[in-house]
Amino acid sequence: MKAATLKELENFFKTCESEYDVLVPIELHDGTRSLGKITDGPLALAGELIPQKTTSIFFPQRETMFTIGIDNNFIVPEPPEKPIMVVGLTAEDAECLEFIDKFFSTDYRDDIYFKKRDNSVVFVISGKCGKNGEFLKISGGKCDIELVCNGDKYIVVPYTEKGNELEKHLICSTEIASLEALHKESDALPTNEKDILLEASKLIAQDRVPEEFWDEIANRCIACTGCNLVCPTCTCFHVGDLNFEGIVVRERIWDSCQLDGFMREASGHNPMGIEGQRTRRRIHHKLVADLDRWGHVTCFLCGRCDEVCPTNIGIKSVTKEIVDRFGQK
Amino acid sequence: MKKTLTTCPYCGTGCMFYLLSDENNDKILGVEPSRSHPVSQGSLCVKGWNAFDFVNHPDRLKFPLIRRNGNLEQASWEESLDLIVRNLKKIQEKYGNDSVMFFSSAKTTNEENYLMMKLARAVFKTNNVDHCARLCHSSTVAGLAKTFGSGAMTNSISCMEKSDCFLVIGSNTTEQHPLIGTRIMNSVIERGAKLIVADNRKIRLASYSDIHLRHKNGTDVALLNGMMHVIIKEGLEDKQFIAKRTENYEELKNTVENFPPAISAEITGLKAEDIVKAARIFSKADRAMIVYSMGITQHTHGVDNVKSCANLVMLTGNIGRPGTGVNPLRGQNNVQGACDLGALPNVYSGYQKVTDENIRAKFKKAWNIKDLPGNVGLTVTTAINAAAEGNLKALYVMGENPMLSDPDQNHVREALEKIDFLVVQDIFPTQTSELADVILPASCFAEKNGTFTSTERRVQRVRKAIEAPGESRTDWKILCDIAKRAGYDGMQYSSAKEIMDEINEVTPSYSGITYDRIDQIGLQWPCPDKSHPGTPILHVDKFARGLGLFSPAPYKPPAELPDEEYPFVLSTGRCYFHFHTGTMTRRSKLLDREERFPYVEINPEDASHLKIHDRDYVMVATRRGEIKAMARVTNVVLPGVIFMTFHFSEGAANVLTNNALDPEAKIPEYKVCAAKIRRLS
Repeated sequence: MKAATLKELENFFKTCESEYDVLVPIELHDGTRSLGKITDGPLALAGELIPQKTTSIFFPQRETMFTIGIDNNFIVPEPPEKPIMVVGLTAEDAECLEFIDKFFSTDYRDDIYFKKRDNSVVFVISGKCGKNGEFLKISGGKCDIELVCNGDKYIVVPYTEKGNELEKHLICSTEIASLEALHKESDALPTNEKDILLEASKLIAQDRVPEEFWDEIANRCIACTGCNLVCPTCTCFHVGDLNFEGIVVRERIWDSCQLDGFMREASGHNPMGIEGQRTRRRIHHKLVADLDRWGHVTCFLCGRCDEVCPTNIGIKSVTKEIVDRFGQK
Repeated sequence: MKKTLTTCPYCGTGCMFYLLSDENNDKILGVEPSRSHPVSQGSLCVKGWNAFDFVNHPDRLKFPLIRRNGNLEQASWEESLDLIVRNLKKIQEKYGNDSVMFFSSAKTTNEENYLMMKLARAVFKTNNVDHCARLCHSSTVAGLAKTFGSGAMTNSISCMEKSDCFLVIGSNTTEQHPLIGTRIMNSVIERGAKLIVADNRKIRLASYSDIHLRHKNGTDVALLNGMMHVIIKEGLEDKQFIAKRTENYEELKNTVENFPPAISAEITGLKAEDIVKAARIFSKADRAMIVYSMGITQHTHGVDNVKSCANLVMLTGNIGRPGTGVNPLRGQNNVQGACDLGALPNVYSGYQKVTDENIRAKFKKAWNIKDLPGNVGLTVTTAINAAAEGNLKALYVMGENPMLSDPDQNHVREALEKIDFLVVQDIFPTQTSELADVILPASCFAEKNGTFTSTERRVQRVRKAIEAPGESRTDWKILCDIAKRAGYDGMQYSSAKEIMDEINEVTPSYSGITYDRIDQIGLQWPCPDKSHPGTPILHVDKFARGLGLFSPAPYKPPAELPDEEYPFVLSTGRCYFHFHTGTMTRRSKLLDREERFPYVEINPEDASHLKIHDRDYVMVATRRGEIKAMARVTNVVLPGVIFMTFHFSEGAANVLTNNALDPEAKIPEYKVCAAKIRRLS
């Protein structure tokens, strides 16, 4: 396998710009890590978790669904001029993306999403490139190409046809690199967070987490909605119209199940009218309801809700507390 | 997609985020929090997460409007600006310079506030310039200036993470300053810090408190004096600090001598032992701080309340160190800055007095003009009274909405209708612009460069992400155009940075705060020179005035208390999802969806007597008027007290509020008036 230096990758991403709308991890003005164009800031392939969900490239906070013009003509947004190439998902993000692909195409295919997602290319970055050199799990698939950092270079692992094609054009000084040791390191990563998540899932499903617990957690929730907005598997949106002198623009914006208005009926009645119920829903939905529907939980432990929550009640913290308090001693 | 680092336009916490905008520079597509910012640290509150949504709203004002034959009609900038200057000059010639008033805006930038006060003073020769700080923290500015010599938050937000004990009095912190509230909450839960909540309403923080003091509205002085009485009686005061750093202690002692727990309890409606307990918790902590907001300031004795807070921290030596201090939380994104930059009737930027001849001489020279008025001007509140009496003839309102924000709305309407010439410069049509003779369309925070100063005195960058809609212009450019048309050449700038350069020259506390230095993270004033690191904590070794001045206050009841006809205390404030008069939040889809109707909180006991059910429509009335609202039956309020927010024009709480003012700060008593409530059949 090839192994590319940072410089070689940077050059490669630049050459890809003729064919793709290339988005890579960069450092924004104040050092915040984010996805952007190569010209938007210094390349930051390694570093802390990108705070914004990487799936926002395909499902952004605000987007136009359609416009009705003055002559009542119906205009739907065009697909992007060039397909999107996004670099910098973690292995967990790739699992999230795989799930929302499934979500947005089951029963009803969400055209707005797939206009961006179809033909896109996704790169996962893993290995020794986390915050302070922390090892990030190797995905082993669920993306087109993976760049596995060995502490010095990025070993290039294509998984799909598109990935193979791109890999051919990546010019590297190192043509032969081995993943073996890195795989071992990845396999040896602790799995306790996943164990806790699944244990909490069981406890909630078995109704062993009392309402009082949810009320207690909910009391710490200030309804900032950050947990939902940074969650790569949260797909809820609110629909609203803007009327510009006869031109109507229908938009969707990210919504949050932590808001009272999310479930409130027109009468004012809200089946989820109590904060505790909404907090429970946030966790129950991903760990129990989705398990029933999809056969797996839909939290992949990306860690963003724990990072964004100003009162430390992200899913990792809450599931840990559930297991500590209600699990088998 | 472009990402522009800027400062949140809502509360004074001063979070920073990136605005995401499209390639055409005309649409905001979302926000992304700043991870490295000392306050945001990657988080935001719900308003911050939705701060993008109002910017592209179709209601935005896009061209100037002039009233002709009673109707507002589209006009050119040229014609509108000429008309404004002509009319203001004409009115001044006929009635004198002080017949004109300028309302500046805590929503606009520092640079714009500086220019508004420069326009009023240098060009129109009046000190009649003020802004909504009058309605929120004028009592803080007056009270803390008197006791400490500087009227601002003494410590930093990061100090919350070091405090052992919080007295949160009159601040619903998790709702109004969410990322400050969460620091208090986390300190209690994770570090075991003590928390005393003194608030009539059962706010979220109360459930984490060691003691929740639900004292009667408007009895804060009696409570604080009662606590100080206990501290002195039990010898818990910081004798060394008092001796070394303060003066006038004997007078404080004499005053609080009259507030033994039993008396204090009688006035406040609390149990005497709770006052004793609170006094002990606060005084025994190594690092204790007071956090307060409108519950302290918006009273006819607001200045007394503030002074009493200052007295308590001096008595216990809790000032000038990390984790301590008197920490008033400023409401608006730039209300601190609007005060700092002199949008006040008595001071130029940096709180330099207009009555001081030397200071006037300095500004005359800096602004290259012959004379400046030396009399203190009108306040927002007294200007409305002056208009009602026919003494104020013209009003220029930039980014404020007094028709909804000021007390006793019918009185405000009468006053504004009586005025000969009303100019409103804003981003959306408002209840105030409905009465205007000329409306000028301005740019919002996402469309201009400048700075905001947060509650912790941190001066931070505001950056242009997109172009402003239609013909709208930035506030500072509009003000410069007015100045030029009025014949003054000293107000022409090519950028906001140039205005800051001038601010640096004339404002000692801002002298070292340049755009280059605050490119990523803002600096906290005072910052007197370009190598100064800024000041996270005030009054470290010495108070700004030298010694801290104990300023004891006697207890004075609110101006209007319940009686047989109006048996309830009505208190007003904000809710989490809306901001002030709702101009922005009610045009943000998710925020608007959360709270859609004017509501009134009423205790279940009272509701039951009055046969009011949750979500019933009710009429709330005071001596000033009555409004319709939806009942919210809740234990958040005590029996005998009702609470409303002032966000809703269709049920405007400020129809009801009392225009009784603090004699010194001229702040209205929004927190207490007498009301009655009945169910609508």
